[in-house]
Amino acid sequence: MIEIVGLTKTYGRGKKTARALRGIDLKIPSGMFGLLGPNGAGKTTLMRILAGVVNPTEGTLRVAGHDLRTETGKRSVKSILGYLPQELGMYQELTAAQFVDYMAILKGLDEPRDRARRVAEALERVALHDAADRKIKGFSGGMKRRVGIAQALVNDPKLLIVDEPTAGLDPEERIRFRNLLVNLAADRTVILSTHIVEDIGQTCRDLAVLARGRILFRGSPADLTEAAAGHVWSATSDRLEEPEPGLTVVSMLHLSDGIQYRLVGPHPASFPSAEPARPGLEDGYVRLMQSAHEEAEAPAVR
Amino acid sequence: MKSAGWKYSWLTYRRDALWFPPAFLALFFVILGIMNHPAVRFTIARAYLGFILPLIGGILAAYAVLDDPALELRFSTPVRAERTLLSRLGLILAVETACALVFQLFTLALSVDLAPLGGLLGVQLMWILPTLSLIALATAGSLAGAQPVTGAFLVGGVWLVQLMMKGWFELNARHLFLFMGVFTPHHPDLIANRCVLLAGSLSLLGFSWVLLHRQERFI
Repeated sequence: MIEIVGLTKTYGRGKKTARALRGIDLKIPSGMFGLLGPNGAGKTTLMRILAGVVNPTEGTLRVAGHDLRTETGKRSVKSILGYLPQELGMYQELTAAQFVDYMAILKGLDEPRDRARRVAEALERVALHDAADRKIKGFSGGMKRRVGIAQALVNDPKLLIVDEPTAGLDPEERIRFRNLLVNLAADRTVILSTHIVEDIGQTCRDLAVLARGRILFRGSPADLTEAAAGHVWSATSDRLEEPEPGLTVVSMLHLSDGIQYRLVGPHPASFPSAEPARPGLEDGYVRLMQSAHEEAEAPAVR
Repeated sequence: MKSAGWKYSWLTYRRDALWFPPAFLALFFVILGIMNHPAVRFTIARAYLGFILPLIGGILAAYAVLDDPALELRFSTPVRAERTLLSRLGLILAVETACALVFQLFTLALSVDLAPLGGLLGVQLMWILPTLSLIALATAGSLAGAQPVTGAFLVGGVWLVQLMMKGWFELNARHLFLFMGVFTPHHPDLIANRCVLLAGSLSLLGFSWVLLHRQERFI
């Protein structure tokens, strides 16, 4: 579905140059694909390039056979695209149905009856049919996100790109949203970009981790989890402990007999009673980030 | 563009900007109503059509394309740049035209004689060409500067400089003088002036069309 080779994106010129993407190579098949990474990793830039909103500086990029570096290719991709940007701006004075209808018009759905049917279906799919005629300005954050998904779905896109879709949602909304994305991925490519590991773990069978504009990992959640094997520790202490450098505290659980720490990194000397623990996806992600930092800080060998 | 598209162009247009043209229209109704002297009424009518309408059009146009809360979503659709320009600027031109026609009907009712401005066609060209020019300048300015305020300042500056340096423009740059049809409606160079303004406006709109393809500058 998507083939990216040597993708680079640079913002600014001269001393103010910032390299958001540094030679990305990636193939994304149909189904649900997760793009994970810390804030500032370049995820949004990559999503915007795939959506045809931002131009790549270098590299080749094909979506469903269309070359995204050309205007014709961009327009072809946009006609099969559903996009939910990270910062979702909306027309607050429109109703949910009007907003989705307007986006359908912009996407080229000109036949009024067909469009009305699709708008109703899209709102039904995100469980907003009862609120279709209410103005968006009265909606909660979760409802606005669902309107955002409805507009992304209204043209029945072959490619759905959602950038940080669960940010600001309550736990119940997040679960509903994740389930919706999984259902949608049954017959299309869905790219979920997020820094929330749990969202990826619950939805994707295939993922990439992006950091500082580079792909650090490409594989399944199980592979990423495995990367932390032998580096995850569980320890209990009756007081707050400061772990040594190189260790990351993934969680602290306050129990009746003390604080239970979950740590990722080398064996923790400050916790002599630490025992190996079974890694999870978040541990794998943390371990990957630790390795990346270690490599970045290691002196260059000539 | 289909009627539903125009409907949403209207509904999604900045509400706080929509009162601007009717408010000035109402203000000039009141001023015209208060003034009794035919020569003063003529001057006021000429000022509204020739100076105020173009300025309002330019200021509105500066914000028309970029001041859009759903800009990134709009850019992710296959809608063409020319359609975006047409829907946003066409709406302003339609509002301006409505205001100009209503105002002229009002002047007719008050028996204000606009014939010295060059007949019916001359009066329409007197306001429409500077309006089109300032709309095009504002659009190009805001897109070149990647922010609406750039276009608004540019329009305000050009409008002010041209009015303050009227004499200089009439002598040295009469083809670029936006208000030639207002001040010297029977000048032999007026046709050339109008051709230059029209060509300049179309060029600026073409430039805006090119700039609008570089979407990443605006999000």
